[in-house]
Amino acid sequence: MLKYTIKRLLGTIPMLILISIVVFSLAKLMPGDSLSGEIDPLNTNPEYIEEMREKLGYNEPLPVQYFNWITGFVQGDFGKSTKYKTDVFDIIMEKVPNTLLLGVISLIITYILAFAMGMYSGRRPYTIGDNAIAGINYIMLAIPSFVAAVVAIYFFSFHLNWFPFGGSVDILIEKGSFEYYLSKLHHVLLPALVLGAMGTASYTQFLRNDIIENSRKDFVRTARAKGTPIRKIYNVHILRNSIIPLVTFLGFDFAALIGGAIITESIFTYPGIGMLFLDSVTSRDYPTLMALTMLLSFLTLAGNLIADLLYGVVDPRIRLD
Amino acid sequence: MKKNKSLLWLFALILVLSAFLAACGGDDSGSSSDDADKKEETETETEGTAEGEPQAGGTLVYGIDAPPEGLFSSAFYGIATDAEVIDLYDEPLIDYNENLEPIPNVASWETEDNKVFTFTFKEGVKWHNGEELTVNDWVFALETIANKDYDGPRYTNVQTIEGAEAFRNGEADTISGIEVVSDYEIKITFDQARVNNLTNLWVYALPESVMGDVPVAEMSGSEWVRSTPIGIGPFKIENIVAGESVELSKNEDYWNGDVNLDKIVVRVIDNSSVVGALQNGDVDMLSLQPVSGPEVEPLENVEIITYPGLSYYYVGFKLGKFDNDSQTIVEENPKYQDKQLRQAMMYALNRQEWVDAFFFGYANVVNAPVPSSHWNAADNSELNTYEYDPEKAKTLLDEAGYVDQNGDGFREDPNGDEFIVKFSHYATGNPTFESRAQAITQYFEEVGLQSELEMVEVNLYYDMIEKDDPAIETFFGGWGTGADPDPSGLWKADQLWNYPRYNNPEADKLLDDALDIEVVGTDQAKRAELYIEWQKILNEDLPMLYIAELEEIVALNNRVGGVEYDVSGQNNPAEWFVTE
Repeated sequence: MLKYTIKRLLGTIPMLILISIVVFSLAKLMPGDSLSGEIDPLNTNPEYIEEMREKLGYNEPLPVQYFNWITGFVQGDFGKSTKYKTDVFDIIMEKVPNTLLLGVISLIITYILAFAMGMYSGRRPYTIGDNAIAGINYIMLAIPSFVAAVVAIYFFSFHLNWFPFGGSVDILIEKGSFEYYLSKLHHVLLPALVLGAMGTASYTQFLRNDIIENSRKDFVRTARAKGTPIRKIYNVHILRNSIIPLVTFLGFDFAALIGGAIITESIFTYPGIGMLFLDSVTSRDYPTLMALTMLLSFLTLAGNLIADLLYGVVDPRIRLD
Repeated sequence: MKKNKSLLWLFALILVLSAFLAACGGDDSGSSSDDADKKEETETETEGTAEGEPQAGGTLVYGIDAPPEGLFSSAFYGIATDAEVIDLYDEPLIDYNENLEPIPNVASWETEDNKVFTFTFKEGVKWHNGEELTVNDWVFALETIANKDYDGPRYTNVQTIEGAEAFRNGEADTISGIEVVSDYEIKITFDQARVNNLTNLWVYALPESVMGDVPVAEMSGSEWVRSTPIGIGPFKIENIVAGESVELSKNEDYWNGDVNLDKIVVRVIDNSSVVGALQNGDVDMLSLQPVSGPEVEPLENVEIITYPGLSYYYVGFKLGKFDNDSQTIVEENPKYQDKQLRQAMMYALNRQEWVDAFFFGYANVVNAPVPSSHWNAADNSELNTYEYDPEKAKTLLDEAGYVDQNGDGFREDPNGDEFIVKFSHYATGNPTFESRAQAITQYFEEVGLQSELEMVEVNLYYDMIEKDDPAIETFFGGWGTGADPDPSGLWKADQLWNYPRYNNPEADKLLDDALDIEVVGTDQAKRAELYIEWQKILNEDLPMLYIAELEEIVALNNRVGGVEYDVSGQNNPAEWFVTE
């Protein structure tokens, strides 16, 4: 497995180089630059904008710009955000805890819902219950997250007053106290619910199909013949086999945990990576934008690697050599 | 072993689930106390105490509609939301009154020739860290901005000081035009006498006591800008949660009277939540987008206040091409040169209807490119108001030779060639932009001018306009103006931001004269006369179709009092109060 891991890791290097070129070209292909939003006679004048373009190196030929960026990048210097005027690394680190919290909680919600629904559906396929679950799942999948977020805010925050409508914490609570963490949790629950509940479809249906498939296999027949209770067959024997394909999703989830939820975070004004990403795109904050894209690409690659390795762990039949 | 593993999984899930439920339970109690708070509020609201005497104490929640960038320093900030926070904890040395004339705040001034100014500071004004504000803090601010490593946009407000350019190029260690007389007195000499030297000058201080050691290149990223900024205003920053909220508390040592509120919490509120947050009393005070106005108006606990803004919208024509190296207009575009054509297009626009439909009444039609609250704005009685008159538009077009020659229902140009008005509008995520742009092309089509709309991504849009891209022929745009009402930067033939490429030496001469101290002296009335003359020319020439100036809209919870607005902005936050 070690050999396999090293092989895979080495394989990611050319991939990352290619990705960096694509990311850089796409960023630069976007119309305008970080200064086109600053045209405002109140604040500035054309000379300043021209000077800043020169200072930021936007007037250099593109290959030179790429080289400057990538040499800094591999040395861990992500550059200085043109919007926040401070190190990109600091900004990203500032947002990561929020996003991680949101990601983990929403993932837990997704898992709980998906497991419950998937197991029910898999055990009683083609019944009204199964169809209802499939229907609900696909409706949730089809509803755009910004609609769901706005409806959830309206209903749970403004109507029922259960959750705050935005932000990640109540600023008046003393930092570090128990109430502070409770307040963080309170703030994250609604966006996490929206995210978690909307994303159950793939898990549920995957699990359901797998359970149905496994339930027709020989080992199930044997277990039944042995007189093992049906409950136990489903909850232990079948479930354990059906979880394996779900490991594939884990790779993507890994990147999604850090990547955040762009739209949902913005609507909930939840300052995380997703909101930062959206901001950096609209304001053409190249250093932030490119660092984030690279980070997410890397995490997706890493996530897939981890998923592949996990296959070997959860399913001894798979050998990685 | 394997079995145990899956059991472990199950246990973990159950644990997480129970923690989740427990959290929910905890939240319920929390929010019920919120409810109680809200009830109290509504009770006081019905009494309408906010109109009464100022009360001390209480917390006000101030909403902003976009996340701050976190550049909390007068010298470094870039966007309006950061500026809103700065206005709460810092103050300019010189302020503006409701006629946008400078008035003394911490500093008062004297000048005889508009070239040399002597400023006198009040004694005993303290920074939030207890240090006294002196003229050295101002010198520090001016030298920071003039430093070559400075990465903010304010150098234009310093460069008119004598010797600033030499300081910036590293040829001098100090700015020669700045002379410190004492801790409370300073003399500033400009490179030449101008009537607007004072309004153009940078009048915020920076705390040298804490920022003095920070290299200028690192200032914008330093803690004194990002996490613990200090100022001289009525509130001081207590705590910042990046990207979502700022907590400010009362400055006990405020130099200019008592501060009523204990705390102000600034909170980012997404546009989709604005109405609900106002209704629930989660936010007390907030600038509104026009589109939210009709939804907020019916709320009983919220009052809407409008005050005149300093921005206007227009439809511009590309009349020429600009060469940025020689700073001249080098070419003329023939398509819209006919003044009668432009006037006809102005008559064809039903601007009032358009403003009512897309700005919900929170905007007024303008007829010249100067917002009407400026002292130099021409009265409508002196201008052609171009009332909506499609018949007149048609007559003008007929006279100018734009008639339908091939019977397709649209007019051709005087040579008989097809004539299509190409109209561009910027596109953002806002879905109303396309319909409002569409409405304008429809007005043109109603008088027989075939029109085509192109929505261009906003970042690309201004780039194309600036570079005189041939794809842009007529374009929608907006400008904001500052306290200084001089429009030279947007209108003279040698300016990059003169987007229509309007080239009229006669008009430029008027603008120059209005700034020339030899011509107008210090007589504001005389200046106004020249500006009005200039507006008459632009009102006749129509290098752009002036559409509307916006009103600023603020929503205030009824429990808030002591808040006033005029065209220069809000009153001193020290006077604000809430009734609990």
